Amino acid sequence: MRTIALSLVAVLVLGGAAPARSAPDDHAGAIAALADMRAAIAEIVRIEDGYAVGHAAYLRAAHRAMNALVGRRDDGYAASFGDPGDGVGTLGHLDRMLDQTGSSQWTPAVQGAKANVLAAAANLQSALGQKQMEDYQADLTRALASLALVAGRSTEGGVLGGLNGALANTSLAVPVGASVVSGCAAPKSAPAYGVVAGKLAYVALPRSAAATAIPAGLGVSRVELLGDTVVLYAPLARAAAASCSKVSRLQRTRVVARTSVPAPYVAAQAHAGIKVYARACLQCHGADLQGTAGPGVAGTDFLKNAQQNKWTLSELRTTIFENMPFSNPGSLTPKEYADVTAFLLAANCYPAGSTPFPATASPALKTVKLGPIPGVKPTNAKLGTCTVR
Amino acid sequence: MSQRVLALTILSVFVATISVAGPAGVGAQSAWPTASVYAAADKDAANWILPARGYSGNRYVAGGQITAANVGTLKKAWTANVDARGPLETAPIVWNGTMYVTSSHNDVYALDAQTGAVKWHFPYKPHVIAFSANRGVALGDGKVYEATLDGHLIALDAATGKPVWNVVAAHDLSNTFYTMQPVPYKNMLLLGASNGDWGGIGYLSAFDAATGKRLWDWNAIPGPGEPGHNTWSGDSWKRGGGAIWSGLAIDPATETVYVDAGNPQPDFLGTIRKGTNLYTNSMIALDVSGAKPKLKWYHQFIPHDTHDWDPAMPPVLFTGTVNGASRNLVAAGDKGGNFWVLDAGTGAQVYRVAVSTQKGQNTEPNRKGNIACPNTNGGVEFNGGSYLRETNAFYVPSVDQCGIWKSQGTATYVSGQFYLGGAFPAQYGPSTGYMNAVDIGTGKFLWRKHLAYPQIGGALSTSTGVVFTGGVDGDFAAYDAKGGNVLWHYATGMTIQAPAATYVAGEKQFVVVAAGPAGVNFADPRFSKGAPTLEGKYSHPTSAVITAFTLP
Ligand code: HEC
Repeated sequence: MRTIALSLVAVLVLGGAAPARSAPDDHAGAIAALADMRAAIAEIVRIEDGYAVGHAAYLRAAHRAMNALVGRRDDGYAASFGDPGDGVGTLGHLDRMLDQTGSSQWTPAVQGAKANVLAAAANLQSALGQKQMEDYQADLTRALASLALVAGRSTEGGVLGGLNGALANTSLAVPVGASVVSGCAAPKSAPAYGVVAGKLAYVALPRSAAATAIPAGLGVSRVELLGDTVVLYAPLARAAAASCSKVSRLQRTRVVARTSVPAPYVAAQAHAGIKVYARACLQCHGADLQGTAGPGVAGTDFLKNAQQNKWTLSELRTTIFENMPFSNPGSLTPKEYADVTAFLLAANCYPAGSTPFPATASPALKTVKLGPIPGVKPTNAKLGTCTVR
Repeated sequence: MSQRVLALTILSVFVATISVAGPAGVGAQSAWPTASVYAAADKDAANWILPARGYSGNRYVAGGQITAANVGTLKKAWTANVDARGPLETAPIVWNGTMYVTSSHNDVYALDAQTGAVKWHFPYKPHVIAFSANRGVALGDGKVYEATLDGHLIALDAATGKPVWNVVAAHDLSNTFYTMQPVPYKNMLLLGASNGDWGGIGYLSAFDAATGKRLWDWNAIPGPGEPGHNTWSGDSWKRGGGAIWSGLAIDPATETVYVDAGNPQPDFLGTIRKGTNLYTNSMIALDVSGAKPKLKWYHQFIPHDTHDWDPAMPPVLFTGTVNGASRNLVAAGDKGGNFWVLDAGTGAQVYRVAVSTQKGQNTEPNRKGNIACPNTNGGVEFNGGSYLRETNAFYVPSVDQCGIWKSQGTATYVSGQFYLGGAFPAQYGPSTGYMNAVDIGTGKFLWRKHLAYPQIGGALSTSTGVVFTGGVDGDFAAYDAKGGNVLWHYATGMTIQAPAATYVAGEKQFVVVAAGPAGVNFADPRFSKGAPTLEGKYSHPTSAVITAFTLP
């Protein structure tokens, strides 16, 4: 439980200037939502780690966590226990962000965050009704697991998923009043946020200020020095670049020679996987598979990345079967998982063979390395993906 | 002032034109709505003769006195109290100055549409199988038709409220009841049966409107030898559910009935009914031109549902602009929080838009219990929504709640009892709602408002830029169709679970809505505290009132 709380990363706060109050400030809303959530987590973790005795102390912790999550406006708010949050509550902030005209690149992430906060609130309410300490703790553990999803997951290249992921990878990163430029071109001035199609490509900082202005939680996949400007590329910068009309510097492809090409699935599986992907994955990984709330899962960038990380089919399988959909892991049937994995392999231009992708774990998967496949011509040359039928 | 006089003049010209230009011998002149009057009901400015105005199912009016500019001055014109033993879900029917409404226990009232005075009252004492609710009556040939909680179809004399005939319409009275309005079409009354959580099989029936004699049934669950039967494992189809309980739309030009079949059974235990379970959770297009209905197409929204997420919203037919092209569309909504737009000709999906928070949807309820959202009364409910041509947007309220779902290892059928294979989920965490405006051009939100209470009051949109809806906190509100601001609202002090209607009486345009007790499905712990609403309090939990509004 403690690990979950610790892995919550600090938030990207850039630009320094106090955000203007006139327009609805979604950036500030997301940060406030996260602050309320951290307050809730702290209440839970403190009671779990402490030496409190007696039912009352535990109930108090659950009530206070609930208050921070749901806010004063909700019926679940119990004022007498005090509120470690700001009274609006994580939900209050998220609901305001979702009360929007149109929808943004970050809308799915905020909707997903809301779903997980609602689940955490449900767990807390259930905890409040428990008689046995064991059941109470089980509910709190579930609440923390949901809240970890609200935050997102920190990886080597920055945060992915959740509110932090949206703050690191979409226009939600941009505070009110900050300068926004096209993420497809190199920055001409700094500070500036490079954004394309609602996705954050980079944050440019003046070299002089960079050392002090780089916030702890900023997900940076790559740093580049351009004259007097430091360019910090977002974790999903490559996904952002895929939205540019011209092939940009972020998308240079390199073909790596390989000897034998594996054919690890059958065509019918890949076909069946189209629907599974559309239903369970598309919302975060995008129609073009280049990622929205999650990273890209097919094409040159994905394969190169996988190659760098020395991924085999086994890692791919574990990620998909055990961790996806990120918002609801393990919720598909083994057949659906196998189908959608086959679909991704096909979209990555792996040829179909005669052995189905297995629905259960198999040691053979460890022997197949992932990476760009020599000799195949992607249907979509720009992205390096293949159309699946 | 002068402006109002002008508006009235224009309106009366409009009404006069309709009655003259309508099909020969119909309009305001004919004593009762005939087939051709029904076919043109979508354009009748004075009356409101079908639950959602016309066969399209779209609560939309062109013109009228009430506009976005003046709706802020709307005032209560009259109220009428009705039997308050349960929630009011009645869609008012208005014809030639008389309004017909029902109570939850099937009492029928004829009211003066201009004053609310009771003209007659038909009391009824049905045996209640599950919960009490009724969505209103149908009119035709001097009769008022009502389908009842005890499985009867009754014809009353429209002038006096005295029964003319009364037939047993449901096949199995132990598990079947009626909540929907009979829908008149040609010489028929179309009616679906509610039996979907009680171990029955859904069916749509046609009765002879003159005598109540059954003309045909269409079963929502295919039997042995029929296409789709193999989507059920073993004998599970026999108690497969698929109730047709909410409402329907008709395209008279192609003689097509659009109807939704509800969730499969046992609701929460999918393991004993393996397969996709057709035609549950589907929209079905039926050709009703012949002696028996023929399936044209179906579209299953949630195959093998294990959460009672049936498509509660009645279908709405409309012509919308998608990516710049005009298309004939049909909209649907389900309790799983999905709003759907299909091609009306083929059933092919155009859009799916999540209008409620969704989580854990692919996990079947287990014995330990797991969280899934929306909760069982969540998502899009039975009053649906409305399309507004002027904004090319669809307005649909929704409920935002999560629940903890549990199944049992088995399900046993006991006649007259729930057949669930588990229990209805308990609602946990916040219980709120949304008013959603979906841009049909893109499938994205034009705007969205988060609201403190569940929203199930449907939507009534006007070409003059107003969208009316009511929440379960009793607030009846008028939204600005373009931007989503609340232009006017009125606290009824009861729950609103009924759709609004509008009509003209005495040259004035009225808007009417029913409000009443919360009932079992939308009871809210906040109500017992006299929950504050936008304006006033939840203050009359035991009244049931029809309220009509008009401009001063
Ligand atoms: C709610 C959003 C969401 C959904 C839905 C979702 N994912 Fe993901 N996915 C993510 C996030 C966030 C990550 C990054 C997680 C990490 O690295 O820890 C990810 C990572 C992945 C990766 C690894 C990519 C990489 O380069 O690290 C794969 C493969 C993947 N997802 C496949 C799927 C599949 C297949 C589905 C559907 C069954 C799916 N995802 C559904 C959010 C989602």
